[in-house]
Amino acid sequence: MNLESKRIIRVLVFISALFISLILYLSYFQLFKAEKILENPFNKRNFIGQEKILRGKIVDRNGTVLAYSDKQDDKQVRHYPKGSLYGHVIGYSYREYGKSALESTYNDELLDLKESNPIDELKDILKSGKEKFGNDLTLTIDNELQKKAYDLLKGNKGSIVMMNPSTGEVYAMVSNPAFNPATLREDWTDLVENEDSYLLNRSTMGLYAPGSIFKVITATAALEDPKVDKTFNCQGSTTILGYTLNDYGKEAHGNLNLEEALVKSCNVSFGKMGVEIGKDNLRSMAERYMLNKEIPFDLQVAKSRFSKEKMDNAELAATAIGQGKTLVTPLNMAMVASSIANDGQMVKPILVKEVKDHNGDVIKKNTTKTLATTSSPEISNKITDMMIEVVNRGTGTKARISNVDVAGKTGTAENETDKAHAWFIGFAPAKNPKVAVAVVLENNGSTGGTAAAPIARNLMVKALNTLE
Amino acid sequence: MVKKWLMKTPQGLLGIINILALILFIFYGENIETNIIVSIVVFMGIVYVSNFILSKVSKGDNYIFLITCMLLSIGIIMIYRINPARGIKQIALFGVGIALFFATYFIIKKVKNWHKYTNVYLGVSLALYLGTLLFGTSIGGAKNWINIGGLGFQPSEVIKILFVFFIASYYSNVGKYKKKFKEKTSLIFMAISYSFMGFLFLQKEIGTAVLLFLVFNVLFYVYEENRKLIGLNFIGAIVMAVVGYMLFGHVRIRVDIWLDPWKDIAGRGYQIAQSLFAIGTGGLFGTGIGLGYPDFIPEVHTDFIFSAICEEMGLFTGIGVIMLFMIMVYRGIKIALEQDNLFYRILALGITATIGFQAFIILGGVINMIPLTGITLPFISYGGSSLISGFICLAILQVASEELDIEEGEDEDESRVQKNN
Repeated sequence: MNLESKRIIRVLVFISALFISLILYLSYFQLFKAEKILENPFNKRNFIGQEKILRGKIVDRNGTVLAYSDKQDDKQVRHYPKGSLYGHVIGYSYREYGKSALESTYNDELLDLKESNPIDELKDILKSGKEKFGNDLTLTIDNELQKKAYDLLKGNKGSIVMMNPSTGEVYAMVSNPAFNPATLREDWTDLVENEDSYLLNRSTMGLYAPGSIFKVITATAALEDPKVDKTFNCQGSTTILGYTLNDYGKEAHGNLNLEEALVKSCNVSFGKMGVEIGKDNLRSMAERYMLNKEIPFDLQVAKSRFSKEKMDNAELAATAIGQGKTLVTPLNMAMVASSIANDGQMVKPILVKEVKDHNGDVIKKNTTKTLATTSSPEISNKITDMMIEVVNRGTGTKARISNVDVAGKTGTAENETDKAHAWFIGFAPAKNPKVAVAVVLENNGSTGGTAAAPIARNLMVKALNTLE
Repeated sequence: MVKKWLMKTPQGLLGIINILALILFIFYGENIETNIIVSIVVFMGIVYVSNFILSKVSKGDNYIFLITCMLLSIGIIMIYRINPARGIKQIALFGVGIALFFATYFIIKKVKNWHKYTNVYLGVSLALYLGTLLFGTSIGGAKNWINIGGLGFQPSEVIKILFVFFIASYYSNVGKYKKKFKEKTSLIFMAISYSFMGFLFLQKEIGTAVLLFLVFNVLFYVYEENRKLIGLNFIGAIVMAVVGYMLFGHVRIRVDIWLDPWKDIAGRGYQIAQSLFAIGTGGLFGTGIGLGYPDFIPEVHTDFIFSAICEEMGLFTGIGVIMLFMIMVYRGIKIALEQDNLFYRILALGITATIGFQAFIILGGVINMIPLTGITLPFISYGGSSLISGFICLAILQVASEELDIEEGEDEDESRVQKNN
């Protein structure tokens, strides 16, 4: 064979190799990659069958409609009559932008899809051509309280979570800045590009340094351990391993017991307590309060963080007063308040009360479940008594309600910016708790007692008047 | 007898496919369109008659035309399913293509001196480039269409054939050019070839530019006597690729999309993502014709037709299409090996490489194996220019597959060549 023919055959081999590589790549893609890719919200095929099913409506605990769908010229349109009030709770459902929040986590229920492979089921629905209806959701949210919380948070970044401490029902959950799911198409680019993270649900996904509200966890650990000394002498500041712990305004609190330390939110006392409790005990107590743990909820929840690394005493002291590396979600802190209110039983938070089919029959009910025992009833009662005093005469006086005992704890959390987060957690009525609340004002700059406590108070007043 | 004809001959198999498609389309729409029945029957008639005529007039290869008809059948079924009006128009274009196929076949055979018109090929190509720049209309960002009397056509489809003719005529006359330009001959040839690609690149027809580059390199590799230049050419290509990436935003964007189409899925990666969804949806056997959603892909009937085929007919049909192109390339290379005349040998190799690489570039693009560059899938994509240039290529290949009675170009006297110059 001459040289030219040899070269021509090499060309044939080369081009054939290209085609074979196409076949191999295509097969590889089909067998190993395709399945995962198809779940992408931009794959409009997943929505085809869904458009034949009238998506169920979402109502609050009193039946107020928060989201519904109707047909307009053969096309289904989703309406969000309450606008930005429920952007983070209900989320949105759009062909082009996909789904978020409850619209995403309860998608199968809202469409009444029963099978494990909803895509196949959707195909069948599409073929049958029959009109189908999805299920309706009844939330535990009270629209009045949600509105009140939303208004109270206006002008601040942050979050408010209010729940029933014994049943876990969430009455209000707001996050600011908020977005309006009804105008998502127009706002999308701005929302995505904005640095203020409009789409982030701060209540469940926001991680904040807790500051002094963490002291209720430290106090629980101290009360459980009889060896920990509970009398202190505060000179306004103390130095542990070169780390100086100051009290607010370097005020010397003098001799105090645990209750006084909590009432005055004494950093020196709690720092000392933390060192005595020890890293392991403090961590296991924090984990009992569900830090570092997955919180089961109807929405995605970020894990609160308590450092798993080694700590020296300086860091331990800082951690005991809620500084250090600890980060918590507002929902988690509402649950902390709830568990103290509920005799040391921490219940699972519930957002969706029940799922009803198109005829109004209840097909699924979320019932109260205990997640963890955080303390004995005796200890939680002791902490409750201390928290009542915090509101009566301590840092939380702005949360005081006439004729009703309020238990609470304030926090002013330093963070990487020079403006502190203002926190308040609490519950009322203290001896027969109906509501527990967590308020965080992101980078507010003032203290939890001045900024967050009055917000919590106003919401609790409204709640106690509104709820039956 | 009928059974034997249906099962044993390629025409028979082709017939079965088209009869099945016809039955499908009769039940596809809610009301039966007489148009489509007539169209498909006419289509089958043309396929059968032209195969019959071809077997009588040409003693050459009998398979490349059949493979083409198979590819066309798949294409027309898919195009009709996506948009019935376009499907019927494609059948009409097929008729025009067949007519041009036979016309080209006889013209190529009749004219004996194709290897002498090097300068004509260059001149016409240049005229087409300038024409596009002056009178071109832009479709999809690239200014690459010329409208003549209401009929639009893509000059690049003609240019890629002229390019092969240019290279073939150069190498069949290389001895003569060497006398004239001495050792600079190869460099001049390279410069002209690369300016072909450069012009296309400037018109943002990156796909066609890459195609010409690959075809040039194949022919250069086989026929260039100065073997050092081949290595140099290779290094030059890498440098150009890097420089192109750094300098031109539209090249960079294509590479970025290729690397991660999901990053900007709402914008630039949208089309390729939709293509991947379609292919992935198909699975091994497809959703079935009419049961998928290939119309979610923008421009599905032209560049992305393969994704639609994969969605509704599955991975196996996709592989089948790729293998049809492979067999076609194999037949083309066989034609080149068996041809005695140098000019037609180069022509056969060049045309085969053009079809093969064009298929590879767009198939690789829509499955995101290589960066996507807009170019049609030969014989399957919707579009007149592409189909007609495809049939012209096929006619050239058909002529090259025959034993030809032509003297070699090298021995021609110089005076006639001078006159052509």
